[in-house]
Amino acid sequence: MRRSRTEVTAYAGIVASVLATALVLAPSWHGSALVGALVLACVPAGAAVMCWVDSGEGFAQAGLTLVVSLAVFALGSAIMIWAAAWHPQALLALAGVGLASCLARLTRRVHR
Amino acid sequence: MTRRSMAPLALLALGLAAWAYALSQLSPLAIHSYGLLASAPIWFPLGLAALLAAFLIELVRPKPREWLLVACLVVLIVAIYTAAPIIYGGTPEYAWTYKHIGVAQSLGHYGRVTEPSNIYQRWPAFFAGVAGVSALGHVGPLSFAAWSPLAFELADALLVLGIFCQLVRERRVAFIAVLIYVGLISWIGQDYLSPQAFGYLLWLGIVVILLRWLRAPPAAPESRGRVARLRAWLLAGLEAPSETKPRHRLLAVALVAAIFFSVVAAHQLTPYMALAGVGALTLLGLVRPRWVWLLLAAIAAAYLAPRFSFVAENFGLVSSVNPVSNASGVKGAYYQGAEALTAWVCRGLAVSMWSLALLVIARRRRELGRVMIPAVLAFSPFALALVQNYGGEAIYRIYLFSAPWCALLIASELNELRSPLRRWLSVGVVCTVALFAGLQGLYGPIQVDSTAPDELAASVWLYDHVPHGSLIALPARNFPVGFVFDYNAYDVQFMPADYQITSNPWMDEGKLSEVNDWVASLGHRSAYVVVNLGMYSWSDFYGYPTGFKDLVRKIPTAPGWSVVYRNPDVTIYRMDVT
Repeated sequence: MRRSRTEVTAYAGIVASVLATALVLAPSWHGSALVGALVLACVPAGAAVMCWVDSGEGFAQAGLTLVVSLAVFALGSAIMIWAAAWHPQALLALAGVGLASCLARLTRRVHR
Repeated sequence: MTRRSMAPLALLALGLAAWAYALSQLSPLAIHSYGLLASAPIWFPLGLAALLAAFLIELVRPKPREWLLVACLVVLIVAIYTAAPIIYGGTPEYAWTYKHIGVAQSLGHYGRVTEPSNIYQRWPAFFAGVAGVSALGHVGPLSFAAWSPLAFELADALLVLGIFCQLVRERRVAFIAVLIYVGLISWIGQDYLSPQAFGYLLWLGIVVILLRWLRAPPAAPESRGRVARLRAWLLAGLEAPSETKPRHRLLAVALVAAIFFSVVAAHQLTPYMALAGVGALTLLGLVRPRWVWLLLAAIAAAYLAPRFSFVAENFGLVSSVNPVSNASGVKGAYYQGAEALTAWVCRGLAVSMWSLALLVIARRRRELGRVMIPAVLAFSPFALALVQNYGGEAIYRIYLFSAPWCALLIASELNELRSPLRRWLSVGVVCTVALFAGLQGLYGPIQVDSTAPDELAASVWLYDHVPHGSLIALPARNFPVGFVFDYNAYDVQFMPADYQITSNPWMDEGKLSEVNDWVASLGHRSAYVVVNLGMYSWSDFYGYPTGFKDLVRKIPTAPGWSVVYRNPDVTIYRMDVT
């Protein structure tokens, strides 16, 4: 069965959220924490949004997932800087949000 | 698999192998002032040509395999943007990248804005994001900054491809346009670790949303009134967009606003380039609701308002109202020899790009609606030239924001050539010229844009050993400084002897008395003066500072000067004011 773009986005969001958290919190090789941080910046927040809306085109869907993630990650970081409350680990909450949203999206499909 | 279907795969593998072999044979010392294309073994340009050929041959097939086109594109971008980091041992290109690293390091170290007089810290979203990645990744930004051009170019290409696929019926056109785009923008150098590269990527995301969910349906033709007739002429042939639900349009506006806010908090100029594009689209009724422009303008204004006096006092809001002057680039450039060749290639590319785009628009004058969206986005960036030269960089930003849409216009026209032979010959010629001209622009100044590992090591030594408050005096650009978290604890100054440093380069560095007086005028009794190979390349390439070689010749016998650090590429002197 061919999956819809939003479902694929949801699966990608789940994988990225789990992978990013695991790599950041338990780095297993040199550079793995950096890979985790980059995945966290590039996928979960965007997937949390784009798993609900279809851009109608695969490249656009992937691109928007990336852009929304980067925008949210940068704004989240900037807010901590402005508030002088710098706790970069708090950015891992984006993985939680991504995971919850993507799971909700897939659960809704099953119920239907 | 047939022989014809194997050809692109074989060329892809051969191209990659030739490129890798060429790089393995190349030493940085073998690169001369005409750049990498002219200095590298022949396998380097041949490898890139093979990658281009693989893409084009696949494109000519009746049913091109999209996965292979994407693979060719990715490999080509990887080959283009990893060459410099591989040759120069993974150090970031461009001396000015390092001060961006310093700002990110500072935000990550102190966890707050520490220097409100620094414009980067007043627009901190990008730097804070880099600090976040750095903190979570347990590495400094210096360790990944060199790969920023590759990352941004891959991401930009993804977004551009997504936009083009939305705008054209035939996906083949989208791929041709992306290939032309990759060539056109390769020389512009706005993809290093910088807020403008980040802002540009986010702007492309905003365009995806505008064109997917917020396009307005073509209005019913009205025959009364000049404005209505003009509008009808401009939009004749405009295709109806796909239908969207009101809740999706609402979400789209919210997403545009959120992404735009991130752009606004990251970079000073990009929001206004975006406003020019969105303004032109809404003015022509191509995007609705019209108030989306007002919303974005309000966000930009709200962010600027508390920083308005800072910008007005330190930089000025309007440099000149003369668009020709504003768009004329950096003043006082040398333009001889190697630099002249590269500069003329880039100018030729820019003039050809805009001329061809205008030609396409003129040819479509009876059905302008078919090209109106790319036409508007291609020429709206020129609005910047009405008010700002942006330190001589305005024309480069205009070019960058214009390039995707010019590429799409050119690709659409090429694809409509009736004779298949003429069509594919034209596509091949345009893509090849755009790519290799762009690469000469990118690789031509590689000697002056790159940092050798020894130069970075010398700079690390300098920051480790020089006391806070010291004057670090640089006779020319092209030495990495400012990448440490406490960068503002040092007084780093360029000698005023180069048009790219000051509009009045009064100092003759060959006269040590002028150097001595200048250091004293800055309130220091001593200075650490750096001389590196990169400065030789810089003065040879740009012709300034004219007295640099005299300075280097005189230093060893000058009283009050002593060597404090030396490696094969760099010598650091301490000079005491006499």
